[in-house]
Amino acid sequence: MSLKTMALALTLATIPVVTFAADSVGGQNEKPMEITGVVVDVLCEVAKRCAPDCGGGKRQLGIRDAGGKLIPVVKNTDLFAGAQVDLAPHCGKTVTLDGLLFENPRMPIYMAQGIKTDPNAKEFTPVDGYIKQWTAKNGPAEEWFRADSRVKELIARNGVLGKPGLQPKPQ
Amino acid sequence: MKTTLTSMRASLFGALAVGAVATLNPSAAMAQAEGKRVQIKGEAVDTFCTVSEIMFASGTAHYQCAVWCAVGGIPVSIKGENGDMYMVLRIEEDDASSGGPRIVRIQGSEVTVDGELFERDGVKYILVTKVADEKGVIKLTHEEHGIQPFGQ
Repeated sequence: MSLKTMALALTLATIPVVTFAADSVGGQNEKPMEITGVVVDVLCEVAKRCAPDCGGGKRQLGIRDAGGKLIPVVKNTDLFAGAQVDLAPHCGKTVTLDGLLFENPRMPIYMAQGIKTDPNAKEFTPVDGYIKQWTAKNGPAEEWFRADSRVKELIARNGVLGKPGLQPKPQ
Repeated sequence: MKTTLTSMRASLFGALAVGAVATLNPSAAMAQAEGKRVQIKGEAVDTFCTVSEIMFASGTAHYQCAVWCAVGGIPVSIKGENGDMYMVLRIEEDDASSGGPRIVRIQGSEVTVDGELFERDGVKYILVTKVADEKGVIKLTHEEHGIQPFGQ
């Protein structure tokens, strides 16, 4: 495991309930930033192909700020999970997020770590709904991403390297 | 005459139905925007790992992690041959870009796709109309980079 990866895993695993500003994950061009705006369905926003309730968690979501700027919110604080579970209930409403903006010139993206719906509220609620929802549906697991039936099916078919028949060397 | 009357009734019913849908869901009445028609060739990658550069995120070394992320709802992007990134918002008839079965299946694969390109605030978005070619995982990167991120 690389130092960066270890730092990410430790950071995500130890984000306390309400500590903000945002915690670093050791990424390139990352910048702690609060953003305020309306939760939008990105497909609807850019191509006007809309669905009720922003797709109900099945589509990519973002924030459209007061200046009309669209920022895709691609990550929450759960390992290997997006933020749709956390944002979809707020479709069309104004929220403030605390998190990290990754200012990669090829694609700026945002990782949400905290959310508040009342702009005057002092504290943010952690953005960590994915594992809670997954556990409610599938039962508890030490690592949701290894226990997930869809993941198991793909890895069984393609192997951990993605090429059927190709195996990693024993460690 | 009967046919005409039936057609009129059908048209009227259709118009009322559209009106009702538009009333219930105003966004449904919005005219769809057309993107620029493009063909993109590249690797389907995890957007977060690739953009943030928190780990090596390409080929066999990163396949398993990329699948975890796609199932978890992190957007899949196509990293073009020139390094440009295209976030996939729709793939053929499936607009479940957050963990949907079609998007998960192409993750990690070298693909050629036809689609509509939209650009907004520095992000390129693609609506894939057709996966013209899908070669699977091509880049053998695990011997140099191990299996990301946990080594197994």
